[in-house]
Amino acid sequence: MKELGRQISEDYRDKHPILISVLKATMYFTADLTRELDIPVNIDFMSIGVYPGITKNTGVVRINKDLDLNITGRHVLLVEDIINTGLTMGYLVQNMEARKPASIKICTLLNNPSKRLVNIPLEYVGFEVPDVLLVGYGIDYNQEYRHLPYIAEFSEEEYLKADPVKR
Amino acid sequence: MAIITISRQDGSYGSEIAAKLSEKLGMRLILKDTVLNEWMREVTNDYQFRMLTESPKFYNNVMDCGLTYKEYIEGKLLSEAEKSPCVIVGMGSQIIFGGHPDALNIRIIASDSTRVERLRQKYGLGASEAERLMQQGDRRHRRYISVLYGADWNDVRHYDLVLNTDDLTVDMCVEIISEMAAMKDRIKTTGEAPASPEPGPAIKRGEIRFKHPAEEEFARILDMYGIEWQYEPRMFPVKWDAEGNVKMAIKPDFYLVKFDTYVEITTMDQKYVTTKNKKVRMLRELYPDININIVYKKDFHSLLKRFGSGGEDEIDEFNRSEKNTVQRRDDKEQGEGTGQADQ
Repeated sequence: MKELGRQISEDYRDKHPILISVLKATMYFTADLTRELDIPVNIDFMSIGVYPGITKNTGVVRINKDLDLNITGRHVLLVEDIINTGLTMGYLVQNMEARKPASIKICTLLNNPSKRLVNIPLEYVGFEVPDVLLVGYGIDYNQEYRHLPYIAEFSEEEYLKADPVKR
Repeated sequence: MAIITISRQDGSYGSEIAAKLSEKLGMRLILKDTVLNEWMREVTNDYQFRMLTESPKFYNNVMDCGLTYKEYIEGKLLSEAEKSPCVIVGMGSQIIFGGHPDALNIRIIASDSTRVERLRQKYGLGASEAERLMQQGDRRHRRYISVLYGADWNDVRHYDLVLNTDDLTVDMCVEIISEMAAMKDRIKTTGEAPASPEPGPAIKRGEIRFKHPAEEEFARILDMYGIEWQYEPRMFPVKWDAEGNVKMAIKPDFYLVKFDTYVEITTMDQKYVTTKNKKVRMLRELYPDININIVYKKDFHSLLKRFGSGGEDEIDEFNRSEKNTVQRRDDKEQGEGTGQADQ
């Protein structure tokens, strides 16, 4: 965290960036990362949701919470918890670009390159992770376990075995 | 003009026009006979060769080199056209070269009564036999274009020019086409715009024929994320024989324009994906600047699950019907001693 904070502070010195945290899984990461910065920044939040369709033609990706700040002409740093396929980030980058910021870069705590479909340059990466389910430090499984103060590998199989009624 | 494609009805004098045109303009004439006897004979056994002469569906089968017969012929036509100017008759060339900057796509037709009369004279038939021959020919041509390209042979939008030979002679048609080819060349070399420029036809989603339901599902997911894509826009040769003929190639399913990334989807079980893995690995070695990602069945299903699209059943059903073909293909590859996955 300190390393990322130092690097971002150096790169964005005198640029007064806007950090955009993509909810909800990034909440702890954003809180910890921003407290490692020694430059002035603005912080905003965005939330997008994937909504399954009733029929196979009706699924949509929708913005649940849009930005409060205007990013036109500003240096934007998108903050993510984990990048898997890159589809969500692809959507966000395109959405941000339409608002004409001065620059867009991406900072992700975790990167799972084995799942990647959309190749997007990642400027700041905390850790590369293998292709496993993870929970904790904001990351959920069916909205559970976000509060864990660490990141853990999650076994869906064990979970279902332990409490089959729950599912 | 580098390429002139001729689509013709039987009894329209289309073949005669193509032959005279090729002679007049000094362009190589490529007929179905050329394709079958000069190109396909050496890469098929007797059964395969016979099937090529009889069944359009057979062109979708995969050859030892990993290409379908259709793709192999398309590749050959494109490379021949690059080597020297040619007049190509039939073989879906109006589709293969549709929108090609150096191609002129011509359609030759005539009224049924004229065609019957010409066929009657040519083959010494009675009127009803000649009519039956004409109808059979139409069905065969129509089916070839419909099965392999999902297009309507009679749709005039495939052609730059349609000539009705009821009242035009072969020589007149040759003159008209030559003049049109020369005009098109002049416009190209002088940069002169056509008198009333029209924007090119945009490719509509509905016009794309996906080979597999998984590809259509994936296109839908990309659309949801607003990610611009192209379907199978480019073929990458990965293996050549001693004479430089392409022996193996890969045509990735999608190209994500903004992210300069190709995506290849495979929804077959892991044990059947060896061939694809091999091709992708070769592509990465030969084209290090090309980004390509492969989506495996498990990942694809988790993507679908996320959207609740319910497309899995449809895809599994499709795969079951395809499985025997793929297994045979895979066995063959295993026999060549190919390596296992690059994941």
